[in-house]
Amino acid sequence: MKKVITGNQAVAYGVILSRVDVISAYPITPQTTIVEELSELTASGRMKTVFLKVESEHSAMAALIGASTGGVRCFTATSSHGLAYMHEMLHWASGARLPIVLVNVNRAIAPPWNIWSDQSDSLSQRDTGWVQLYCEHNQEVLDTVLQAYRIAESVKLPVMVVLDAYVLSHTSEPVEIPTAEEVDAFLPPYCPEYTIDTQEPMAFSTIATPDHFLEFRYKIQKAMEQVPEIAKKVNDEFRSRFNRGYGAIERYGKEEADILLMTSGTVTGTSRIVVEKLNRKGYDVCGLKIKRFRPFPVEEICKEIKGAKKVAIIDRNLSAGVGGIFAQELRASLYSREKRPQIFGFVSGLGGRDITPELIEEAIQYTVDHPQPEEEILWLGLKK
Amino acid sequence: MTKQFVFKGASQMPMISVSLGHMDWNKTGAWRAQRPFYEDKTSPCSAACPVGNDIVGFIQKITEEDFEGAWNLIREENPFPGVCGRVCFHPCESKCNRREYDEPIAIHALERFVSDFASNLNKKIRKGPGARKNKIAVIGSGPAGMSCAYHLAKLDYDVTVFESSSLAGGMLRTGIPSYRLPKDVLDREISNIAELGVEIRTGIPFGEGLNLDGLKNYQAIFIATGAHRGRDLHVPGGKGRGVFSGLDLLKKINLGRKVTLGDKIAIVGGGNTAIDVARSVVRLGKKATILYRRSKEEMPAFGEEMVEALEEGVKIRYLVNPIRIQQKDSLHRLECLRMELGEKDESGRRKPVPIPGSNFFFEADNVIIAAGEEVELFFLPKGLEKREGIVLTQRDGNTGARGIFAGGDLTSNQRTVAHAIGSGKKVALAIDCYLNGKDSEEALRQILTGEGPSISMFRYLHPQERLMNPHVVTFDELNTDYFEPSRRQRETKDLIKKRIKGFREITSGFTEGIAMEEAERCFSCGTCVGCENCYVFCPDASIIKIGEVLSHQVDYDFCKGCGICFSECPRGVISLKEEAR
Amino acid sequence: MKKMEIPLSENLGHGHLACAGCGAAVSMRLTLKALGEKTVMIFPASCWSIIPGFWPYSSIRIPVVHAGFVTGGATASGVRAALDIRGDHETVVAVWAGDGATFDIGLQALSGAAERNEDFIYICNDNEGYMNTGTQRSSATPLFAWTTTTPVTKPKENPKKDIMAIMADHQIPYAATATIAYPEDLLRKVEKARSIRGTRFIHLLSPCSPGWRIPSEITIKVSRLAVRSRVFPLYEIENGISYTIREEPHVVPVKEYLRLQGRFSHLTDLEIEVIQENVERTWERLTRKASLKLK
Repeated sequence: MKKVITGNQAVAYGVILSRVDVISAYPITPQTTIVEELSELTASGRMKTVFLKVESEHSAMAALIGASTGGVRCFTATSSHGLAYMHEMLHWASGARLPIVLVNVNRAIAPPWNIWSDQSDSLSQRDTGWVQLYCEHNQEVLDTVLQAYRIAESVKLPVMVVLDAYVLSHTSEPVEIPTAEEVDAFLPPYCPEYTIDTQEPMAFSTIATPDHFLEFRYKIQKAMEQVPEIAKKVNDEFRSRFNRGYGAIERYGKEEADILLMTSGTVTGTSRIVVEKLNRKGYDVCGLKIKRFRPFPVEEICKEIKGAKKVAIIDRNLSAGVGGIFAQELRASLYSREKRPQIFGFVSGLGGRDITPELIEEAIQYTVDHPQPEEEILWLGLKK
Repeated sequence: MTKQFVFKGASQMPMISVSLGHMDWNKTGAWRAQRPFYEDKTSPCSAACPVGNDIVGFIQKITEEDFEGAWNLIREENPFPGVCGRVCFHPCESKCNRREYDEPIAIHALERFVSDFASNLNKKIRKGPGARKNKIAVIGSGPAGMSCAYHLAKLDYDVTVFESSSLAGGMLRTGIPSYRLPKDVLDREISNIAELGVEIRTGIPFGEGLNLDGLKNYQAIFIATGAHRGRDLHVPGGKGRGVFSGLDLLKKINLGRKVTLGDKIAIVGGGNTAIDVARSVVRLGKKATILYRRSKEEMPAFGEEMVEALEEGVKIRYLVNPIRIQQKDSLHRLECLRMELGEKDESGRRKPVPIPGSNFFFEADNVIIAAGEEVELFFLPKGLEKREGIVLTQRDGNTGARGIFAGGDLTSNQRTVAHAIGSGKKVALAIDCYLNGKDSEEALRQILTGEGPSISMFRYLHPQERLMNPHVVTFDELNTDYFEPSRRQRETKDLIKKRIKGFREITSGFTEGIAMEEAERCFSCGTCVGCENCYVFCPDASIIKIGEVLSHQVDYDFCKGCGICFSECPRGVISLKEEAR
Repeated sequence: MKKMEIPLSENLGHGHLACAGCGAAVSMRLTLKALGEKTVMIFPASCWSIIPGFWPYSSIRIPVVHAGFVTGGATASGVRAALDIRGDHETVVAVWAGDGATFDIGLQALSGAAERNEDFIYICNDNEGYMNTGTQRSSATPLFAWTTTTPVTKPKENPKKDIMAIMADHQIPYAATATIAYPEDLLRKVEKARSIRGTRFIHLLSPCSPGWRIPSEITIKVSRLAVRSRVFPLYEIENGISYTIREEPHVVPVKEYLRLQGRFSHLTDLEIEVIQENVERTWERLTRKASLKLK
């Protein structure tokens, strides 16, 4: 069934179809309509879902840590400050290996107050041990929620599904909504490896000495390293069932080009138009969408770079003192390659400023015009 | 117990830090600097009891409603609970730790309650086995003699008691009026002793019909003939007609013989005999006035009996000393001097000093001298060492003459029923040692109650049971937070009008309910009653229970030695000692 | 004196790492006896993150979920939700949080859960300071007490926060104070809490030997004197309005309580007087609340 729905509604449909047992959330713009939609959908009582309307994001994640330890499927959604407030608990969720799914609607972090799209919130949680998946459109949002549970419950790591504020969260698009039966066939009920059992009492998250802590962290890394393969399998199965799917990265435009334009989130949608237009004009450029930020798809990217001499990458985020975070990750990934393309790291669209086709074109033009970037950070659309 | 896990690497570890086992491999006992242990200690009441009663023990039996058990426990040490419960001056109560909290336990009343209860049981103490070992002669059937006979009989000796009087009991019978100690109570306890196989031969005065030669068949002899002779006043007219010895008068009254007295009786003295005489003559319808040369504070008579005497109309004149008794017709004129108190004398009391020229006269129909009692020595065998009016013995009653022991009032100036009973018990033990070639001094030392001098016959017979540290528990060693203030129960007394009409016992014993209430008040100093504070408060669950019962064992594998059990024990049962390092 | 009726079950096992004479270990042992085996316990950060033992061991023999410092109320809400989803309405969820996690950093999560009337028992194991980190002041630290952050030259200037009043005003079904010197009272309250649904709060005073600077053997005595001096009255509040105070027959001056503790050894007579007045005022406020009856 196709419906015209917003990105936030797509999240809600994904959650309901995933038969989530416990939802715990606190409202924050622009995530609010997810909470509202889920409240409506769970209010009837037809579903067994418990919705804990907690008093803060910190508690939202803490409650899910409790519930997930109790062996049930959990969900929360937040944005910006809410995610930042959860930070401590994000670590806890991954450290406890709890397959919680969180949707973060990207929003800038104050001050100044700003409620518009900006990836700095989710990217500043990159070291918390969560898988991060970024979405381009509303269909992908719904589908990614479903896939997120499969991945999370396979590798026992929490997954963050990320979408842009307003451009997706509050923008309606036609979305194919799978039936409950179809989803049930794809996503079986959650079977925890360890759970609270008074017959077999255990203590969870017991303190570990330096003798063991390193090994527990090593196990998390090993689990992260399984993600590419598992995510691929999950996506392959999803594609076979639903006729659509999303890789960790996706190349579009030409098969191979001198210049590779790398983007994430909704900027990719705009970039597709620009790349197509420039290809028609004869530019040797192709596009690369990055869906998965954690673990960073190093191998996949290296494979797709092929003979590209330059990579233009647009970051809607800023790690002050360094630059765009995707660019940094890319530089680190490519370092060990023999032939390394020039990286043109553009920072643009912070705090929800539109990244227009013109700006993207400007970025590509700059890349074409310069053998190497003049600066580490190339500000796109900055009013100096 | 959980084994300790060893992980060679991450591959052997689970995904998350879930617990896989318990901590019981971690012997926290290694932290301990001090070690608690259970150790019953001596209660001040038992330590103060000349008889050596296990007071805490029998009181706890009462709380458990096991009155027969209480009786059995008392009888391990004392054949005279009915007597002691009535006439003992109960030094136990003076030392009772509860005295410092509110009021001491009414131990005497509880003892009496137990004996009254047992009298209804019609249960006799088991006779020993038929084959008796040695023959022992006991001279005198007072509390010392009978106590000795009792314990010897229980030790399977063939005991014969010789009594000069026609009835057994000694001073218990002749010296104590029956309003304090009814004759049936005494009879019952003597017959209980006889039931053990003790032969009591009355009407055989020692030194007259009987002498040491006549006792050659006996392997040991215990002389406990008491102190029955009233001390003279040594004043002119002190031996005149109508002037009687208090002890003689009491004996007559107590044996039911006829007594002829005038209406107005003067009693000279300040001890219990003076009071007994005064109260007895009041019951014969006479007016009694006690003349005492010191003040009330120095009076040796027991306080409660003085109170009762005054209630019954006895007059007491203090600081008065007769110096001459003149007789005029049937009337006596006592010339007296008023006294004042001077320096303390060797007894610790202030010495009465005559006030010159304070002479006055006191008139009475009869004068009764109750100025103390003395030992009759003339009939005693030669060779016994005597000093200051008593026979000298070793601590165990050994007179130095082979096989001859002495005890009771004969060998002591502490002339109380309890001391006499205790003395008899000690001699029983000494005789057993003597006949078995054991060192009685050492045996006595082993079974002292507290620091002594009283001893535990139970521990003599069962050296490995009910072990007890001789340390006497002090009030400060108790944790009184666990006790609620409560009033001491009192025995009821007959109305005064009724009391003075005759020689009926004036106090009524406790009912079962009252006895249990009073027993509940007992702090049980030094004896575990299983309150389980130690178990409840242990932070390390290291007080071991076997099933639901406290084992009195500490699990030293885990006890960290915090000392909570020690400080929360209400009764000082748990001790701490430093761990050797 | 009768033997106390205390269940035999031991779910605080041997070998735990509590200090000798730890009041909280007594609290835990007794509480676990009352809660029984059908219980899950949530431990926000506190001494109890350490005491049960290091991985792979735990000396607590019921399921335990160690949780973030702030999260007692929230984690318990989640565990409860999970159990409900699983159809297990029998197992009790209990939080065991220190005073820091309750009065201070976790107050928000607790308040949120209490407002939602989440179905769990929240036990605040109050040792009046951040003891696990070495005795720093919390808002549960009493007036004029020494801690490492309130040195004797400038001891704590404010009285303890009235957490019971705060919880009562959430109108939760049950709130009670308890302490280890009164084990039967403690057990009764925990058992009563167990029989009720909704948010139940137990404020449990657990003297801390190192933190209060008291010898290990007087933990119980100090707990008892806290009650007798009315520093820590024992009472229950039902539905935020119905108060039941345990009348303590042996009221003692607060000085008797204070003089045993090193953390108060610097107090002047005047300061003791101020504390005494404070205690009396608080007692009066409590008894006034207890006597309020709706017409």
